[in-house]
Amino acid sequence: MSRTFIASTVIVSMGVLTLSGCASFRAAAPGDPLEPVNRGIYSFNSTFDHYLLKPIAKGYDAVVPSLVKTGVSNVFQNAADAQSAVSDLLQLKGGKLGDDLGRVVINSTLGFGGIFDHASAMGIERGNEDLGQTLGYWGIGAGPYLVIPFLGPSSLRDAIARYPEGLYDLVSTLSSVPVRNSLMGVRVVDTRVGLFPAEGLMNQAALDRYTFLRSAYLQRRQSLVLDGKRPKDE
Amino acid sequence: MKRNKTIAAVFAMFATGLLMTATPAFAQSGPDEVVKTAAASVTTVLKSDPGILGNASKLKELIESKLLPNFNFVRMTQLAMGRNWAKASPEQQSALTKEFQTLLVRTYSGALANFKNNTIDYKPLRMAAGETDVTVKTVVNQANGQGIPIDYSLEKGADGSWKAYDIIVAGVSLVTNYRDEFNTVIRDQSVDALIKQLQSKNK
Repeated sequence: MSRTFIASTVIVSMGVLTLSGCASFRAAAPGDPLEPVNRGIYSFNSTFDHYLLKPIAKGYDAVVPSLVKTGVSNVFQNAADAQSAVSDLLQLKGGKLGDDLGRVVINSTLGFGGIFDHASAMGIERGNEDLGQTLGYWGIGAGPYLVIPFLGPSSLRDAIARYPEGLYDLVSTLSSVPVRNSLMGVRVVDTRVGLFPAEGLMNQAALDRYTFLRSAYLQRRQSLVLDGKRPKDE
Repeated sequence: MKRNKTIAAVFAMFATGLLMTATPAFAQSGPDEVVKTAAASVTTVLKSDPGILGNASKLKELIESKLLPNFNFVRMTQLAMGRNWAKASPEQQSALTKEFQTLLVRTYSGALANFKNNTIDYKPLRMAAGETDVTVKTVVNQANGQGIPIDYSLEKGADGSWKAYDIIVAGVSLVTNYRDEFNTVIRDQSVDALIKQLQSKNK
């Protein structure tokens, strides 16, 4: 009985999610009632990025050999795969759980603590799940679009999910504070470097970067929640 | 009576057979072949002549000759405009289509540089007989082992040829993304303001 209830809740909420997806094309500011505030934070973030984060990331990208950069990315990704496994479990997705656990075990051992990504070479795909997606899977809509200071695009749902997720993030739970802080800093830079190609594309493609990013974020998140299945949007 | 039916059936089969043998001569490529052929013709050139990425005019020529014929830009622009399409005059519509096409070609040229070492996997096409609107699913494998799903929505035109009207990269639809942007500009300003913005972006 409870299973039927959950199933129907999920189905109904998926429907709502899909419907709100359709409606968003007609509404003036789709899912973004806080647009004026969000735009303010977006422009703050852009300034911060322009004068501090991006120059650091560019320096890192230019100075660090690419083999090292890949190793660093892989270590952080390994920690993310472990986090993803928790969300796989919470969504009862056995296949993804097996993949993510397999990835973490293989990469942590054969890959020397995650430096080498042997699992990808072996064809084991990332589950790529997180708590925001898990909430979405169980029927919680994205809620209003939010731009978080320093962190960028999010939604109310995804922003709320960040907190509990941080509690089992292998990097931010390290006991040595200096090591933890340095690693968290490097992770931010690593993430920023990873955004260079997308950023170039956005600058070329977008008429208004704020709107472009918002639309891309909301679509991407919905696609992740639905595991790549696309609701027909017309 | 029964006999007539049998004769009719035989005739029908005969006619179908004729049609079936006749079709290959006029056959248009299926939607998946359209995508494959277009992608292959571009990646072949990129591999044999990597220097083309630094040559804007050659790159533009390649895209215009190999890719553009496979896209329906009027349909794309119409979808990106959504309900605002009907509010635009025919002159505005053709100006929008022209500028949107230029913007997309430029964006695509820029994106190609990131794609040079990638391989493309094609997922099996699921398509019912007589369908005129399909999605061709591909995965672009990057050098770092990560695959980006890229889907192409194609529509069959009156002439039987398949043309793409949307590209969905990792769940993000190009048309939907521009619809939100176009909507915002038209909501806050006007259709002419949108045309002006596209023009200055393309300068």
